Amino acid sequence: MSSHQKITDSPIDFAVEIINDVKNSKEEGVLKCVQCGMCTSTCPAARHSDYNPREIIERVLDGDETILKDDNIWNCFYCYTCHSVCPVGNSVCEVNQILKQIAIENGIGYEKLYEYMGFADSYFTAAIGAIPEIFFTDIDRDVPGWWDFRQHLDEIRQELELDPPLMPSEEVIDEVSKILTITGFKAKIEKIRASQEAENEERS
Amino acid sequence: MRDDLKVGVFLCECGGNIADIVDLDKVREELDVEFIGQFENLCSLNGRKIIRDAIFDHDLDRVVVAACSPISHEKTFQDYVKPLNPYLMDMANIREQCSWVHSDKEKATHKAITLINASIEKVKQSDAVDPIYCQTPDEVAVIGGGIAGMNAALSLAKQGTKVTLIEQSPSIGGHMAKIGKVFSPVKIAEECGMCLLNPILNELVWNENIEVLTNTKVIEAERRAGTYNLILEKSPRYVDTEKCIACGKCAEACEVEVPNDWNDNLSMRKAIYRPFGQSYPESYVIDMDNCTKCSNCVKVCTMRAIKLRGKPERIPLQVGSIVVATGHKLFDMEKRPEYGYTRYDDVITQSELGRITGVNGPTKGKLLKSNGEVPKRVVMIQCVGSRDEKPDGHKYCSKICCTVALKNANIIKHKYPDTDVLICYTDIRTPGMFEKYYKHTQENEVRFLRGRPGEVVKKGDNFIVRTEDTLKGEFVEIEADMVVLSTAMEPSDGTREIADILNVGVTEDGFIKESHPKIKPIATDVQGIFVCGTAHDPKDITDSIMQATAAAAKVNEYNYGGVEIEPFIAEIDTEKCIVCGECIERCKYKSMSVQNDQIYIDPMSCTGCGKCLNGCKQRAITVNGNIDEKIMSTINGVLSKKQEGERMILVFLDNIGYTAADNIGVNRLSYPESIHIIKVISVNRVRPRHIRYALENGADGVFIGEFPGDLMYDEVERKIQRAKDRIAEMGHNPERIAFSKVYIPYFSGLARKFNDFDEKIAELDSSK
Repeated sequence: MSSHQKITDSPIDFAVEIINDVKNSKEEGVLKCVQCGMCTSTCPAARHSDYNPREIIERVLDGDETILKDDNIWNCFYCYTCHSVCPVGNSVCEVNQILKQIAIENGIGYEKLYEYMGFADSYFTAAIGAIPEIFFTDIDRDVPGWWDFRQHLDEIRQELELDPPLMPSEEVIDEVSKILTITGFKAKIEKIRASQEAENEERS
Repeated sequence: MRDDLKVGVFLCECGGNIADIVDLDKVREELDVEFIGQFENLCSLNGRKIIRDAIFDHDLDRVVVAACSPISHEKTFQDYVKPLNPYLMDMANIREQCSWVHSDKEKATHKAITLINASIEKVKQSDAVDPIYCQTPDEVAVIGGGIAGMNAALSLAKQGTKVTLIEQSPSIGGHMAKIGKVFSPVKIAEECGMCLLNPILNELVWNENIEVLTNTKVIEAERRAGTYNLILEKSPRYVDTEKCIACGKCAEACEVEVPNDWNDNLSMRKAIYRPFGQSYPESYVIDMDNCTKCSNCVKVCTMRAIKLRGKPERIPLQVGSIVVATGHKLFDMEKRPEYGYTRYDDVITQSELGRITGVNGPTKGKLLKSNGEVPKRVVMIQCVGSRDEKPDGHKYCSKICCTVALKNANIIKHKYPDTDVLICYTDIRTPGMFEKYYKHTQENEVRFLRGRPGEVVKKGDNFIVRTEDTLKGEFVEIEADMVVLSTAMEPSDGTREIADILNVGVTEDGFIKESHPKIKPIATDVQGIFVCGTAHDPKDITDSIMQATAAAAKVNEYNYGGVEIEPFIAEIDTEKCIVCGECIERCKYKSMSVQNDQIYIDPMSCTGCGKCLNGCKQRAITVNGNIDEKIMSTINGVLSKKQEGERMILVFLDNIGYTAADNIGVNRLSYPESIHIIKVISVNRVRPRHIRYALENGADGVFIGEFPGDLMYDEVERKIQRAKDRIAEMGHNPERIAFSKVYIPYFSGLARKFNDFDEKIAELDSSK
């Protein structure tokens, strides 16, 4: 593959945009990357998929904005291992979150988000983030005994002489719902849901 | 009366550097002095004759040279005014601080007149004083008996200088004695380190100018006029080095076994031991922390050399200069548990690999794992603790680890061609001739993988090294049965301790700091103390030897030339002094002490800051040179030239700030004509009454700059704050006083601060 860099191109602009994002806490870390690959060597997503944190920074520094459409960016689950091992104090994890946000703003990745709508819903119904039911089968497959554990959580807690988990009260749930509605979170969720459901209908 | 003094002014055109901007004819008209002349290039050799003739013809008492910065040519003109005393001359800086920073001819000319007038007023306050010459004693202490310290000591001794070589461990030799083979910059070969070290060691031992003190540390240091009084502490060896013939019977008889630190704890030694075969002194030593005092050794010693009782001995040592060669240590692997060093025996460091492959090591040179087998695959991990901004890591590159890894990989390949060696690297740094060695290593079938491993885990009998092959963009898990970590070099504990004791500056990484990283790489920020080897920064044996011999040359330059000191330092009136010691407490530069029941001031370290003056209830201290009066007269000299509507800001800077200000001119940046820089010996000498006087007599603003590295910085900052408060109480606006940090390299920042302050003062003036 070859590419032509015109005299008027400014590949660094993309990296600068990301560095200046409010989510980035590492100042100049992105620019100091030497592509050593330590992030990738410890990344669980890299071990199980084609996600490569080193390559994320490489492409950001190249000004390669096609990365926003790359399915792989959705494989990072924010374990922050790359963030804690980086020898130059960079955080691919944060860069990834910024990239996803830019993607979403550009209408990219709705189908990825659709799978997580259950998370969003749980803020309205319980005022906390809860694992969506659609993942239960997968988790039980990956973590043997998990479903059984979850079913008997109350008894296990009792056995350990632990109080039942504290859950937000109705009042709190009301309040959180209001905040999420006023700040536009709800509208955003509905937009994503609507667009995906329309697409699903079209397909069927 | 000082007003009767005949002052001569010499104006230098400096080619066109000054005359093109400053109208010197106008300057001549405006100034009223006994003599004023204008010359094309005053610093040239005939300048001497011009100035001397004028001094004789006009019977001049004082001279002002209006030319470049005193930083460039003060010494020249101090010499040219002979037979006048050198301190009866003052320079007005109308180049760096006038013609090079201003472009408006009329304003620049007026500014030049003001600056010259200030010098005229100042020089009238000057008295004839003589510089102080200090001849330092020739004796030298070299601290640290590794390859750097040994070479520095040997070079000095061969040039006829008496040297005391101080080593805290029981033998000289340092790291070089234990690394086995060494790499060479030109030859594609690994050579025996001990074979190279031994001749140096022998030569040193036989040289009559060198006294070697092992088991010895510097615990105290005090400086007096170029002389260091060191207190050494020599720990007992419990074996008489004169009697011991190193037969080894004592160690055979000893029943206590402890890990052998010289072998990186890979083998055991007895509580009575000899560090290594060629150690010097050639004598055994008892490790008293582990000795049970069973006396077995005493019984078998036919030479009666062993005494189980002994106390540390304090030894005073007086020297004129010191070479610090206290070396490095290696990164502590407990800080990187992800590589499993503390959990697994076969995860080792390059240093340990050096011991294992060394013929005098724990396996007599055989590469064996802890189970006694030869490893099938050795994976080396580079940059462990180096180039690492994580907590406890080092930002710098340790410089030698790439070549060390290549060397050890080659040694393995020579002896065990079937063992696979893979080096995981981020960048291979083999500058200069070492690049050939890198190529040679590749030809030797050593493999390279570009990637920085994240962790080493145990899986069955083998390790798994997890890394990314960054050139392929592939996550890989490499099986290995031996992992070697290239650990960072960091300052040794001894280096940190001696920096404290000698009060020499260190870098942010804790290495001894050179006085200038480019052109003074051997001197430290303390006169008479020099640094070499890895106490200074990571380097290899060759570089350590080069710096060590350079340090020897620098010591001799210093011994030969002596030291000339400006006489503007504190002086004690012994009639008035009651030796209360208040000044000793106050002095930040540790210049004062009691000697023979009198206060003694070390002229080398006294800066003339005057802090001691405040504490002296007897008023027994004066600082030579009429500093107060000179500052006051300079202020008057500037302000008396103030014109209608002119804004005048006085800027007080010491040598560092003044140099930064000069750099603004040298780099042809600019600042407003209102800025008038006054050079002072110490910013602390600018007193509240000077500031108040200036503001009450026409100055629109006062700017004081201080280098944060100056020991008096905090003090001055507090003092200026108090002055501001007092000024406010008296109804003046404290905003007209500014205090700022100055650094020599950040001249552009200083120029910006001048501009900002001028704007601020302009606003205050317009709102008034």
